[in-house]
Amino acid sequence: MHIPDGYLGPQTYVPLFGASFVFLSVALRKLKKELATKHVPYLAMAAAFSFLIQMFNIPIPGGTTGHAVGAGIIALLLGPWTAVIAVSVVMIIQAVVFGDGGITAIGANCFNMAVAMPFVSYGVFKLINGSSRSQKRTSIAAFLSGYAGITVSALLTGIEFGIQPLLAQGADGRPLYAPYPLEIALPAMVIEHLLLFSIIEGAVTMLLLRYFLKNEADVVYALKVREA
Amino acid sequence: MENKIPSFLIARSSAAPLAEGRGRLRISFIEKSIQHLAGVINIGHAQWESASRDAFLQKIDARVKVLFLLFYVVIISLKRDLVSESLIAGLIFMLALTSRVDLMDLYKRVLFWGFVFGFLIAFPSAFNVVTQGEIIFPVLNLEKSHTFWIYHIPQEIGITREGSLGVLMLTSRVMNSLALSFLVLATTSLPEIIRALKVLRVPDSFLMIITLTFKYIFIFTKTVEDMFLAKKSRLAVHTGNAESRRWIAGRLAFIFRRTRMRCEEIFKAMLSRGFADEVRIYKFSRLAALDWSAGICLFIAGVIFLWI
Repeated sequence: MHIPDGYLGPQTYVPLFGASFVFLSVALRKLKKELATKHVPYLAMAAAFSFLIQMFNIPIPGGTTGHAVGAGIIALLLGPWTAVIAVSVVMIIQAVVFGDGGITAIGANCFNMAVAMPFVSYGVFKLINGSSRSQKRTSIAAFLSGYAGITVSALLTGIEFGIQPLLAQGADGRPLYAPYPLEIALPAMVIEHLLLFSIIEGAVTMLLLRYFLKNEADVVYALKVREA
Repeated sequence: MENKIPSFLIARSSAAPLAEGRGRLRISFIEKSIQHLAGVINIGHAQWESASRDAFLQKIDARVKVLFLLFYVVIISLKRDLVSESLIAGLIFMLALTSRVDLMDLYKRVLFWGFVFGFLIAFPSAFNVVTQGEIIFPVLNLEKSHTFWIYHIPQEIGITREGSLGVLMLTSRVMNSLALSFLVLATTSLPEIIRALKVLRVPDSFLMIITLTFKYIFIFTKTVEDMFLAKKSRLAVHTGNAESRRWIAGRLAFIFRRTRMRCEEIFKAMLSRGFADEVRIYKFSRLAALDWSAGICLFIAGVIFLWI
């Protein structure tokens, strides 16, 4: 899912830097106001937790393993705006320290995984769960929130890849950046997520939320907001 | 003299797989997680060690290196020909050489990730099914061409000149970007890089969040690694996938609790040291003559790369 350097042209990565910057600034301002002096250690904690979620390989049927991005569960546990900052910080550290995702693509990766994914996950959870107290419904809502969040993120990545041949071509008509047109990039990104990675994300979101509901229901932001 | 150490202690390291090949003790998720975590810790340590060497790029101010990295990553993304990419690759190699970076380690990582993210992903686009053009390497000849919805499969399938040029271009661009960022990282400690982001007017509070996150990550990565090793050492029989997933959910929740507790402790420590909601990162010292000259040389070289 992490877009490396070289796949997106400046026509795409510059506006996405701008869009991510706007969301990040709003999130920082909002949380600084809400959390007052505590916002720095709190957000660092959320970011570290977001990074650590990706360290857990989950066994899936067929003998293979995969890991979740975690933006969905962070949005449910700590709120979507906290997730925007937490996952953005992780994207920056991953790109700079581990070479996971490109430096020019930080804006695009943040937009896909740190902006779109938490809001979609949070929105889907609220939509399906509503004010229900049924554990079954909450579990389904959690699974679908993780599933939808990462699928939308993959869809956006597919679109960003797919529009590159339309935006930048050489004199001979050869694409200068990601070479696959929309009709290839979009299904390639979305289908593999619908069938595998979104299931992992959904399962992690559901399992973790269920654990918290059973043991520490008071810490779940998505449910606190409901009660408020 | 006979070895008195019990055989089970010298047979394998704690991280080696158990019951290899029998297929009864399926713990690949533990092995993969341990490898993943060990990789994170290794990268951190290797970077710290190489950034503290007394060599060319290590002596340059982090602000110059961060601006150099950003400027050159943009140049790499703008260049459209292989000659320019090769020249940039040459410059990066020279800088790595003069900075006494472990070249084998640097280029092993660059080649691996460049192959995965550059070549492997882009390779199918070399075929005329994706990129039209002159076929230079025919692979398959079908009886007739096929059209399915918006997809068209031509009668003759092969690698085109235009497609292979595109793959080469993309691979070299990915490899150059990786080499550049790994080089800057190998010659600069992360706290210095984060501090240097101040020149881009990134707010101090955001830089502080990144710094704290980086520290938390290393503390908790070790905790998570210990968790996996403890789980592995206790495993004697096969555990089902569902049971493993429940265990992971429990451990993730535990980590969440630990990070929250650490956050409270850090906040109290901050308050006891007089923190009053104002994050201030220490100011940099003035740039030295070496920083200015290196910065100007790299800038001129960059402009030449943009111009050619």
